[in-house]
Amino acid sequence: MAFLDNSGDIILDAVLTDTGRMRLAKGDGTFKIVKFSLADDEIDYSLFNRSHPSGSAYYDLEIMQTPVLEAFTNNTSTMKHKLISIPRTNLVYLPTIKLSETFANHKRVAQASPAPTGVFVVAVDETTLGEITGEGNICPNTGVLDGEAASEGNYIRVDQGIDSLGNPSPAMSLESDLIETQYIVQIDDRFGKIVSQADGAKEATVSFKDDDNIASYYLSLNTDTEFVFNNSNKLVTDAQAISGPRGTYLQFRVQSSLDLNTSTFLFQELGGSATMEIGSPVKKYYYIDSNVRVTGATTGRSIDIPVRFTKFYT
Amino acid sequence: MASTFKTFLNDDIATTRTLLHEAIPITGSIIYGTYGAPGAELQIKTFAHGMFQSVYDYPFLSSSANHIFDVTHAHNSVFQTQGVTGTKSDGATYDGASQLGAISTHPFFKKRKNIYGQMGQVLVGHDVVGEIQKFDQDGDLLSAIGSKYNCLIFMNFARLLGKDEIKKGSFELKIGTEQTHSATAGVMNDNLLTIKDDGAATNYKVNSPAGEYGILKITGDSNVSGGGISTQPEYDAKCGLIFYQAGVVALTPDLFMGFVASVYNKGKITNASGGGTDGVDAKMNATQNILALLNDNAKTMDDVALAFRQRIEKVCFNNTTELNSTIYFCRASHNDFNYSSNPTYLLNSKIRVKGKRDHDPISYITSVGLYSSDNELLAVAKLSEPLRKDPTNDMTLRVRLDY
Repeated sequence: MAFLDNSGDIILDAVLTDTGRMRLAKGDGTFKIVKFSLADDEIDYSLFNRSHPSGSAYYDLEIMQTPVLEAFTNNTSTMKHKLISIPRTNLVYLPTIKLSETFANHKRVAQASPAPTGVFVVAVDETTLGEITGEGNICPNTGVLDGEAASEGNYIRVDQGIDSLGNPSPAMSLESDLIETQYIVQIDDRFGKIVSQADGAKEATVSFKDDDNIASYYLSLNTDTEFVFNNSNKLVTDAQAISGPRGTYLQFRVQSSLDLNTSTFLFQELGGSATMEIGSPVKKYYYIDSNVRVTGATTGRSIDIPVRFTKFYT
Repeated sequence: MASTFKTFLNDDIATTRTLLHEAIPITGSIIYGTYGAPGAELQIKTFAHGMFQSVYDYPFLSSSANHIFDVTHAHNSVFQTQGVTGTKSDGATYDGASQLGAISTHPFFKKRKNIYGQMGQVLVGHDVVGEIQKFDQDGDLLSAIGSKYNCLIFMNFARLLGKDEIKKGSFELKIGTEQTHSATAGVMNDNLLTIKDDGAATNYKVNSPAGEYGILKITGDSNVSGGGISTQPEYDAKCGLIFYQAGVVALTPDLFMGFVASVYNKGKITNASGGGTDGVDAKMNATQNILALLNDNAKTMDDVALAFRQRIEKVCFNNTTELNSTIYFCRASHNDFNYSSNPTYLLNSKIRVKGKRDHDPISYITSVGLYSSDNELLAVAKLSEPLRKDPTNDMTLRVRLDY
C-alpha cells in the first residue's frame, strides 16, 4: 500500500473490505452498515513532545506530519487501534490489557534456543504432548498447552486494569466505566478454537467467522462465567499482572482443530518443521506460528498473544 | 461508559446518484495501421465466421490490449432489390436492382441479413405482428413512410469504453470519403466528413427497446476537397443513428457515395472520375470501395470492415458512468473519540498527551471504519493526514461508498 498524497487538501480514500464485498455478493442482507469507529493505526504517541522549546503549537508537529497509508481491503489488517469515547476529559490513566504470567501455569515458553521462546506451544495431539512432557497428558512444561483434551494443565490469562507501577494503588477500585465487561477473542479457525480454562474444556460459541477464517468469540462478564471474571484482588503484595486498580480478567485454553490433530497438511502448507527444545531432549516437530488476538470490546485495548501449534514429527 | 463505536442515526446516511463522464478520444492510427499491414494488423482480431472484426488499442494477443469496438455491416432483404436510386454524377439515374440485384448470391448475404435481424431486434424491436422493424432515418419506426436504412455499418463500442452509456451530444466521427485507395497516410482521409449527434442532449428518441438514441448528421465542420459543405446538400444530412445505452453507432454506407441524389460529386468514395460511370460500379474492382464491396462476391465482410476502418480519422465521445453512492456522515462530537487504544498512547497506563489532570485529552484520526451490527468491518476509509481530535472540536467525516 502506498502513502496517500498529503500535499494538498485532505482526502478520504474509502474502500469496501473483502468481508464487505463477500457480504454484498451474498445478497442476504448482511451487508448493512450501522455504526462507525475511528482509529489511529499509524500514530506513534511517543512523538508527542510536551517540552518542545517552540511552544504548545509544536507538541504534535511530528505526529501531524505522519504519512498515512492507503486503505487495506483486508478487514483484519486495519482499524487495529480504535479511538475511545469517554465523556470525561479529566482522566490521567487508562486501563490496559496485559498477558498475565504471574504463575507457571499461564506463562509462555521461556527456554533457551532452539526453544520457541516467548510463545504458548499448543501440542495438537496426545502423541506430541507425550513427547514433550515425557509421561502422562498433564502439561508440566511451562507454556505448553494440551491441544487435544484441553481440559487441564496450562492456560492463557489476560488481565485488565491500570498498570501504573503501583500508583495508583491496586487497593483502589477501577472506575466502573473503565472496567472491561466484554472481550473479543480472535483465532484462526483452521488451527484451533477457544475453550474454557475450567469446567472440562467448555467450548466458547463462535460469534462469526470471516472470509480469512478468523473466528471471533465474544465473551462477556456475567454471561460467559467460565471465561471472564471480576478481579477482586486488591492486595499490593499479591502477584498480579496489573499493578494498579484491577478490572476483569479472561482465562481460556486453545484446543487444536481436527485438521491439525489428524493431519500434517496445514503444517506443511502454512508452517514448517524444526528441532525444538520444548521438553527434553531436543526433538523435531511440525509447527505453525499464529496469534490469538484479545480485544476489549468496551475500551478497545488489544493484545496479540503468540501461539505455536506443534505436532511431533514422526 | 467507554465505547469505541458510534451508531449511525437516520439522518447520518444519505444516498445520491452522480453521473461521471470520461472523454474517450480514439485516433485513426489505432484503428488502422500502426501495428501491421492492412488486413494483417495485429490490433485487429478477425474471426473464422467473418461476421465482424474487433479493434483493440494494442496487438490483441497482448494482455495489455483493450477491446475498443467491433465493426460489422448488415442489410435486410429490401436492400437486395432497392440498390441505389437517385441521380448519378453524370446526370443519369441509378437503376437500383440491376446494380445490386446479384447481391442475394453473395456468399455473405445470409450473414449480413442475420446481423441486420439481430441488431434490429435488439435496437429497434418488432412491430405489432412480430416482424423485425427497420432502422429509420428520423426514428419514426412505426411509420411505413419515411426513409429506412436497409443497409448499415455498425460500430459496437466495448463496455470498457462506453461504460453505462455514451453521453448524448458528445459523439463525433471524422471519416474520409475519398475514393482513392492508398497506403499513404492521410489520402483516404481526404474529403473528410464530420458526423455528430448535435443537439441530442435535449433532443433524442426513446422508442427503442435498447434505450435512448439520437440521429447522426453530417455537420458543417466537414471539409471536402479543402472547402466546407455548408452550402451543399450533404450538409446536415442524416447519416445514421447512435444508441447511447447500447453503445452502438449505425452508419449508412450512403456516406460514401453522396447524398440525396446529389450531383455534388465531392465527398463521395466513388465518382465518375474513378473510371466508371456512376457511384456504384465506378470502383467495382477497387478493393476499398465500400458500396462496391457489398456487391462483390469476391469480397468478404472483413474487406468491408477494413475499407471502413481505413477511412476513420478520429472517433471521440464522452462516456457516462452512473454512480449510486451512499454517504455516511461520521459525526464525532466534542466528547467523542478523544482517547485512544493505541499501545503508544499510554506509558505505564498514563496518558502520554496529558501532562496534568486538567489537560485535554488528544487523539489523532487516520482511519474511519464502517461496521455491521455484529462488528464486522465492511468498509474502511483513510485520511491523507492525521486529524487532531480533542474536546474543543467536533467534526463530521463524510465517507462516500460508490456502487
